[in-house]
Amino acid sequence: MAVEARLLDAEERAVGGRQQEAALGLARRLPSLVVAAKEIASSAMHGVHGRKQAGTGENFWQFRPFVMGEAASRVDWRQSARDDRYYVREREWESAHTVWIWMDRSPSMAFASALALQPKLDRALVLGLAAADLLVRGGERVGLLGLTRPLAARSIIERFGEVLHAVDRQPGEPDDLPPAGALAPRTRVVLISDFLTPPAELAARIADLASRGARGHLVIIVDPVEETFPFSGHTEFLDVDSKAVMRIGQAERFRDDYIRRLAAHRDAVASAARAKGWSLAIHRTDRPASEALLALRMQLESSLDAFATGFA
Amino acid sequence: MLGLPLAFTIPLALAALAGLPVLYVLLRVTPPRPRRIPFPPLKLILDLKPKDETPANTPWWLLVLRLVIACAIILAMAGPIWNPLSVGGAGAGPLLLVMDDGWPAAPSWDRRVIAAAQRIEAARQNSQVVAVAAMSDAGKDVVPVDAPKALERLRALKPVPYTPDRLAELPAIERFVAAHPKTSTVWIADGLERGNARSFADGLSALPVDTTLVADGAPSVALTGPQNDSGALDVRVLRSANGGLGQGFVRALDLKGLTIGQAPFTFGTENETKARFDLPIELRNDIARLEIVGGHSAGTVSLLDARWKRRRVGIVSGETADTAQPLLAPNYYLVKALSPFADVHEAKPGAVDPIGALLDEHVSVLILADIGTISGAMRDRLSQFVDGGGMLVRFAGTRLSAAADDLVPVRLRRGGRVLGGSLSWETPKKLAAFEPPSPFVGLKVPNEVTISRQVLAEPDTGLPGKTWAQLSDGTPLVTADIRGKGRVVLFHVTADTTWSNLPISGLFVDMLRKIVAMSGDARTDITADAAPAPVASKVETVAPSRSLDGFGTLGPPPPTAKPVPTTFAGVSSIDHPSGFYGAAESLLAVNALAPNDRIPAATFAGLRFRTAPLQAAEPVDLRPWLIGTAFLLFVLDSLASLWLAGKLPRLPRRAVPAALALMLAGFALVPAPTPAHAASPATEISPRDMASALQTRLAYVVSGDARVDEISKQGLSTLSATLTNRTSLNAGEPVGIDPAKDDLAFYPLLYWPVVAGVPQPSPAATAKIAAFMRQGGTIVFDTRDALSTRSSGPPTAETAWLRQLLADVDVPELEPVPPSHVVTKTFYLLDAFVGRYASGQTWIEALPPAIGDTANRPARSGDGVSPIIVTGNDLASGWAGDEYGEALYPLVPGDPRQHEMALRGGVNLVMYTLTGNYKADQVHVRDLLERLAH
Repeated sequence: MAVEARLLDAEERAVGGRQQEAALGLARRLPSLVVAAKEIASSAMHGVHGRKQAGTGENFWQFRPFVMGEAASRVDWRQSARDDRYYVREREWESAHTVWIWMDRSPSMAFASALALQPKLDRALVLGLAAADLLVRGGERVGLLGLTRPLAARSIIERFGEVLHAVDRQPGEPDDLPPAGALAPRTRVVLISDFLTPPAELAARIADLASRGARGHLVIIVDPVEETFPFSGHTEFLDVDSKAVMRIGQAERFRDDYIRRLAAHRDAVASAARAKGWSLAIHRTDRPASEALLALRMQLESSLDAFATGFA
Repeated sequence: MLGLPLAFTIPLALAALAGLPVLYVLLRVTPPRPRRIPFPPLKLILDLKPKDETPANTPWWLLVLRLVIACAIILAMAGPIWNPLSVGGAGAGPLLLVMDDGWPAAPSWDRRVIAAAQRIEAARQNSQVVAVAAMSDAGKDVVPVDAPKALERLRALKPVPYTPDRLAELPAIERFVAAHPKTSTVWIADGLERGNARSFADGLSALPVDTTLVADGAPSVALTGPQNDSGALDVRVLRSANGGLGQGFVRALDLKGLTIGQAPFTFGTENETKARFDLPIELRNDIARLEIVGGHSAGTVSLLDARWKRRRVGIVSGETADTAQPLLAPNYYLVKALSPFADVHEAKPGAVDPIGALLDEHVSVLILADIGTISGAMRDRLSQFVDGGGMLVRFAGTRLSAAADDLVPVRLRRGGRVLGGSLSWETPKKLAAFEPPSPFVGLKVPNEVTISRQVLAEPDTGLPGKTWAQLSDGTPLVTADIRGKGRVVLFHVTADTTWSNLPISGLFVDMLRKIVAMSGDARTDITADAAPAPVASKVETVAPSRSLDGFGTLGPPPPTAKPVPTTFAGVSSIDHPSGFYGAAESLLAVNALAPNDRIPAATFAGLRFRTAPLQAAEPVDLRPWLIGTAFLLFVLDSLASLWLAGKLPRLPRRAVPAALALMLAGFALVPAPTPAHAASPATEISPRDMASALQTRLAYVVSGDARVDEISKQGLSTLSATLTNRTSLNAGEPVGIDPAKDDLAFYPLLYWPVVAGVPQPSPAATAKIAAFMRQGGTIVFDTRDALSTRSSGPPTAETAWLRQLLADVDVPELEPVPPSHVVTKTFYLLDAFVGRYASGQTWIEALPPAIGDTANRPARSGDGVSPIIVTGNDLASGWAGDEYGEALYPLVPGDPRQHEMALRGGVNLVMYTLTGNYKADQVHVRDLLERLAH
């Protein structure tokens, strides 16, 4: 089977309106990402409580019932003294979570085969920006890892787009690893890349990022060609970020080897992520982006949930 | 080679074919250019050792393609020749080549020469001497020469336009064989029995020689026996055997070589068929040469001379009421005798000037049966006709014997003589044998012809020279004289049987045939007459003027050609080759075949001959074809290489069978569209036009003002209903039309309410209106302004609009409808055409001024129907009525009968457009009836 594959040229790699629009469209299609599981839980409790005590007290919603296991110092005694329950002054909503997003824009991402709906780069940007929009609408603060501070602007996609655009115009190829530096605890990070870097380097970088307790989620963007290796016949493979060339007489004979290698690589990446309790998802560019965003959202919700639980 | 008629000029080049396996290996390991694919995860496998560095093989079909290219080039280099000249072996003694060189050999002459040249070449290689004997040598000694000289002799041979007698050549061959033992003989025969082929073969087989018979398998075709019959010219087409040319064309050419016509022929199972030229007599008489298209031999050419021309013969009889008793009329016998070989024209019974009428028909022979004196202008015309080359044949009779004019060859005695009558002792005389210079020489004189009465010639000097036939006692029976270029012939008897029984004898037909054949070639007989010695018993000869060669081409006669007698009727020979003889005015044609000849194929069964076929096919050099094929394949290979390297736009997998199917469908459909196009009509006919064509209906022009259009529709509906009730016209539902778009041709009357505000019609629409009016349509323009118009004031807006519309239309002169105009009388007797208003004036095409007594002609009309009627009375509003017969609109002045009068006016208008001026004549019906009653 002959598959066409190509690298994007510089023009196509530039971050432009097209990714922003796609991201906006994608994000708008999904309901707002609920930020904190705690909040959800408390509002649910509010609802139950409110029904019991309907019509009494206008500030009542500001407190939530004390949950067993919480620090006793959090009890608002003044409020709690009014009845035989303990109330806690809820503060969470005021201090939103920070989510860092990193989108790989290295040369290896600028690749698209005929089987893919979109280049990997486009897909990564769309996914990242859409997630940012979702998170901001859900009340989170989102930052581009190494590029911006956490923001909660409504026009987060445009803001990010401007920043990425400015970065693109600087000389030099973007790195294929997220920038180093420990993240603050209780922040979360979303890394979107093809993660074709050596797993050891990646593991080191993840460990670095997570050294203060930040948790994260890895989205592996992969072109269908990279997974299935549908090449046959006399083929010359070119590397994308080095001059390496590999000429294979009969490419179909390499398929099994390649798939084995790829699986090993994936395992290494996954284990590097799991080592820090990070989660990982694989997204193929021949699948719709919404699928990946949905998965990312579920992942973020659960991780936030888990985080919130842990935090509490 | 390998049983195929294939040979190579450079067979050594074929050794290169041994290199093909090497090429195979080389091509196999030279793969197509690899595809270059960027692959980001390449690092993952960059360290893998290649399992098999041998690149993918060249696809097998590409390999085959390239090997075929190489093969084609190698074969082309070897110079392959299809159907090479084969060179046979021969014996030790001299080689005797016997060539049939009659016309049957001409079509395949080149191949015969090639075959002979091959034998000579073989003899040269065997160092044999060669003798070449042609059948037309007619027994000249055969001399052995060396091969190059023999080749020269061979090249000098040409087919002759006759069939030489082969037996004449046999003695020479016998002498040669006797002088040169061990002779091997090769006879290249033409395959026809004509010319004693079998006898010659028998003689040849009796000789102690080794004989090879080279015969052509293809049958010969020939053309003979053209017959210019009354309807058409027929010619026999012959062939020697089945097969070969099954059908073809015979072409007719005139003396200058221009094609006159072409006629097909088809051989069935018979070896003889006919081609028929169905042409006018003038054209058929111009035919000088018939040939089979592509025949290429003298036998396929038939030359025609004056004998095949059909003459136009006019017959005028002096008797008037002849037709009642045909057997007593001279015309009957003349027509019967002439019609087999001439076109007979008779003067129409009762024609004022029968001779002049026939001369106008350009007859070449004019026969006057018993016409006494011709005088005046007619005599001048006749003598002019004769001087111009015409043949005037007169028959005697009672009128001629009473009074002859000078248009007779001899002076006649008044009265004539009667032989064997009741008051005569003499018995009816018989005819004497014909003597020169009579053209009848050669005709057999039947014994039973008797002459009982004749007119007598004065015994002047020169009478014997003018006598063509005489009685046994020497009295002239047929005399002739030259006048200018023509000739006057007199039969001293009648053309019917009252004076002799000559007209019912076969001799009569033959004499007339000779006479008719002589018409137009007076000159030969002038020379004949100029010959002083009437005793010249030997027949006049004519020298050859143009001769056919063996291939059937006319050219200068060969030196061996000798003059032929004018009576020559045989076939061509060495002395008299086919061709034309004599002067251009009176050519004599000699052909290779007699009219009744056949051309049977020769049979050589039972003879101890070795046989060899004539080289069947031309050698074909295959080199260009092979190189062309290699080139095409190379182009294919280049495309395939490009495709493999991914340089060609890739077709979707599904598109390929789809495209193939499309192409196939395209091929299949190419001839199909013709009937499809033919089936679809050029323009669609709208259903409304169809309905209008099937039923007469009134029409109004849609003005654009909805209210006016509504009124027009109501008015015309009421009028149509009224017409249906009161008249025989069943008018259909009225229809509103747009003159710019709709076809006006279906409507006899167009009601046009003029609305001032709407834009003028386009020039094209105006042109349509003008055409409608020219072709007989009538338009009623209704300006509807009778109330507002003032005779002295400026024109109303509607009138101005109408004037502008009609500026480009050819409008006749108009006048207010006069009281006597036929339109006021077509159904009702009316004074005016009222509508909603009664005060308006109605204008119509002005009638021509009244002629004579107007009081008796209450109705006048022009030649046709007025194309235009202009009124201001708002007719449609006046017509419009409800189902109770009441007017729909208030009428002015409001007379109770105004609606009825308006409808009557409408009825009159419609009847006027439909019936025209018929009513103008109808007013006379009383007078006509009175006249019929008497």
